[in-house]
Amino acid sequence: MREIAEARTGDIEQATLQAYRWYHLASLSGRLSHFSTAERVLAETLARFGPREDLCLLKANLDLRFHRLDAVRADLETMKARPQARSILADVDFQQGLYAEARREYEALIALDPVWDDMARLGHWFWKMGDHQAADHWLEQAGDELTAKQMRSFAWVELQRGVLDLSRGDAAAARGHYDRAARAYSGYWLVEEHVAELLAFETRFEEAAALYLRLASGDEPSPELLQTIGELYLMMGLESEARPFLDRAEAAYLESAARGEVHYWHHLSDFYSDVRVDPEAAVKWAGKDLELRSNFNTQVAMGLALHVAGKSGEGVAFIEQALGSGVQDAHLFHQAAVVYRGAGRALDAERCEAAARWNPMAGRFHVHR
Amino acid sequence: MADHNDPNAVNSIFSDVDVSAADLYDLFGFPSDDHSGGGKVVIALTFAAVPKAGTLDPDLLYRIRINPHQRVSFPADMSLEELLTYFSESKDRYLSESKAFEVRVTVNAEQKATVKFIDFPCGSFNAVVEVDKPTVVQAPDGSKLDVFVGGRDDAFFNDLPGFFRSINYAPQFYHVPHTMTEARELPIPKTLLELEGNDLFNFDPANPHHGAGVKMDLPPGPWEWKGNSYKKDANGNYRFVYSGKDAQAGRNINCIVLEIPMAFLTVNPAEDRIVDCWGESWVRKASAKVPAIPDTPSALHHPVALLHALLSKDDELKQYKLVDTDGQPFADAALCERENDRQLGANNFWLGPHFVTRLAHLGWGFGPSISALGLKCSFDHDNSPISIHKTDSTIIEAFPRVKKALFQPLRLPDNSWNPKGLDIPFRRPVEIFIPNVCAIDMDTTGTWPFGRRFEDQVATRFLSLFLDMDAEFNGTRYSIELLNNQALWDAAPIEPKTPPNPLKNDKEFSKTFPYLAEPW
Repeated sequence: MREIAEARTGDIEQATLQAYRWYHLASLSGRLSHFSTAERVLAETLARFGPREDLCLLKANLDLRFHRLDAVRADLETMKARPQARSILADVDFQQGLYAEARREYEALIALDPVWDDMARLGHWFWKMGDHQAADHWLEQAGDELTAKQMRSFAWVELQRGVLDLSRGDAAAARGHYDRAARAYSGYWLVEEHVAELLAFETRFEEAAALYLRLASGDEPSPELLQTIGELYLMMGLESEARPFLDRAEAAYLESAARGEVHYWHHLSDFYSDVRVDPEAAVKWAGKDLELRSNFNTQVAMGLALHVAGKSGEGVAFIEQALGSGVQDAHLFHQAAVVYRGAGRALDAERCEAAARWNPMAGRFHVHR
Repeated sequence: MADHNDPNAVNSIFSDVDVSAADLYDLFGFPSDDHSGGGKVVIALTFAAVPKAGTLDPDLLYRIRINPHQRVSFPADMSLEELLTYFSESKDRYLSESKAFEVRVTVNAEQKATVKFIDFPCGSFNAVVEVDKPTVVQAPDGSKLDVFVGGRDDAFFNDLPGFFRSINYAPQFYHVPHTMTEARELPIPKTLLELEGNDLFNFDPANPHHGAGVKMDLPPGPWEWKGNSYKKDANGNYRFVYSGKDAQAGRNINCIVLEIPMAFLTVNPAEDRIVDCWGESWVRKASAKVPAIPDTPSALHHPVALLHALLSKDDELKQYKLVDTDGQPFADAALCERENDRQLGANNFWLGPHFVTRLAHLGWGFGPSISALGLKCSFDHDNSPISIHKTDSTIIEAFPRVKKALFQPLRLPDNSWNPKGLDIPFRRPVEIFIPNVCAIDMDTTGTWPFGRRFEDQVATRFLSLFLDMDAEFNGTRYSIELLNNQALWDAAPIEPKTPPNPLKNDKEFSKTFPYLAEPW
């Protein structure tokens, strides 16, 4: 794939293929440097050949991945009636808190043409809204649509089903899906990351740490992975071991933000609210992310940031926005309870704590996604 | 191009769709020259040579469905209401073909092909054969079945760019992303003669390979044509959209070829003289590749499940997804526009009304260009002097115009197709395309449309649907071979003076099983 991606060509079809191959390589490796190359190649191709639909679609995928939501809408402006564009625009709707609109569009697209990725999107929607039965149904349907030529996608769907099970505290079911994902696409780092999380969830910390460290021993570990390792060490009470990983994660997040990138703002607000508490920084990054995309994730992040800044009363407003989204998530309820309690609203806090208990394992290790 | 690159999910004409082993190309079927024991039928399903000729994809499953029955005469004429009733009533009969006999082929990673014969009169049985090696399989009733699974030369010979030029199919000429569904058949009249000013598709001497390997950027729309005449050169000759060159020359395919005694197919081979057949490609589901539960239920722990698995033959099929079907040449590419959801095989009855309106759409384009050449046309285009792009016909509007094209008997040029001199009527387009099966008449040579022989030039014969078979050329009634007649083109005001498509394959066929030529 790398050879194809690196081939030089003056032909538009080959140039387009080359840009897509870089994107495929980046998606496969998960490396930011590959994504950077994909973006550069795409920009060059766009400059040479103009805004062709397939190039715009690729750009929209990249912009969505890196949270450039306004850019996504601009990318797809001339092709927004296309099903592929509608799927991505519905994702943007979801990211911007337009949940009902996103669901309507996913359902309309599935009625038009039942493709696996729209089914997975609808599954994700139901998952966030707490209907795990419907979520698993749509994820299973998505997996059933995939063929033997799409095993990486199938592995990804299985991972989502596993995370869904884990969010209900069902580690055994999650392991079944992760095992299947591993058999579907052996050696896939994303599967191993999920397995490591599961091990940590099961309090098999040493095994989890060993697997995480192996994953991080490559050329270019992601800052999210470094943060995860740091947090695992903290949970294990190994603060000195945690420190270098958290240092590297923090530095990478800040370097990204300094380059003008926006996709780590959410991680920065989490990091400063939860890992290395810095109220001023937490509020700053939460605010920027909230301005970019107002959804339950960014709202609860702002609520929590204000709470750590000693402004739980102000934080409650954001928490209530997040709760008003209809999202049913144990971690959301847990964080809402923290903010309510900080604001002296014990009854609301207890209500949220009760809601969080439907996942009896919510307090266990989990990855910030 | 009978069914190449169809449906769109595997349409590798598009820049963003890879060639797929699921892309069925052609289905051939004809009576064997071996008349021993009541005769034999030859059936060949060809498909993309992926990963390469002689190596098959282990994730694919191919089916050849076979249904022998008696010859039935088709009405010479029908009203629209009767036609719709035919579509509806035939559905009940042909839906029963879901019970048709089946030859199912899968290949494992070691390139051993498992060939399953399912539900034949003598029962069901399996054989394992070597890929690329003709093999004789003995059935439980003692019948000897010739089987070949492997790579061969592509038996389809055709001016593919010419066909696409005739229907203004942009992905053959331009870089068209899969997303741009409106930029496939562009809204320009379909035609056999180039249109004056149709710069998007007319042959360009300065860029002679455009559409034949060279693609250009599709200019911004609107992609319409506002002219009112056919293009003519200084000598007053029209420019043919076809070149007569074989675009498939030197290409290989993978294939399944069978030669089966009629006595194996039916207990009444003397009566059951028609053998309907069609092919299907299925791709393994991802979930089947990594089952969540063991493949074979344990007899100890799941006795009921094991019994069910043994009795339920289609548990295997549940692990695959249908991708492509192939029966009649051009049923998909020309008449169904390659849509993924129109891969219905024999059960294409609900497409009947679409078939009528699509034929009218083609008639409005091809018809006037046929008339301009001085030929009589079967489509009523109101004597239009120029091809028309018209897509909005209702079936009520379209039916009277296409009625002749639907129901006229497709005449063959001589009686060689009917060696026994039996009273067998010529076939009519409506019965040829619906249902979408290759209906082999075992009392003929099996030349199209009485089956399909390797040497048949079906692309050119398909165009003859738009000729008025009651008319004469040089004192001889029109036939489905008329457009292959060089004398016609020599006399016509057209350049180049060639039949639309090559007259023969690029390689000689073999006289022995599996008949298709060795791969290149």
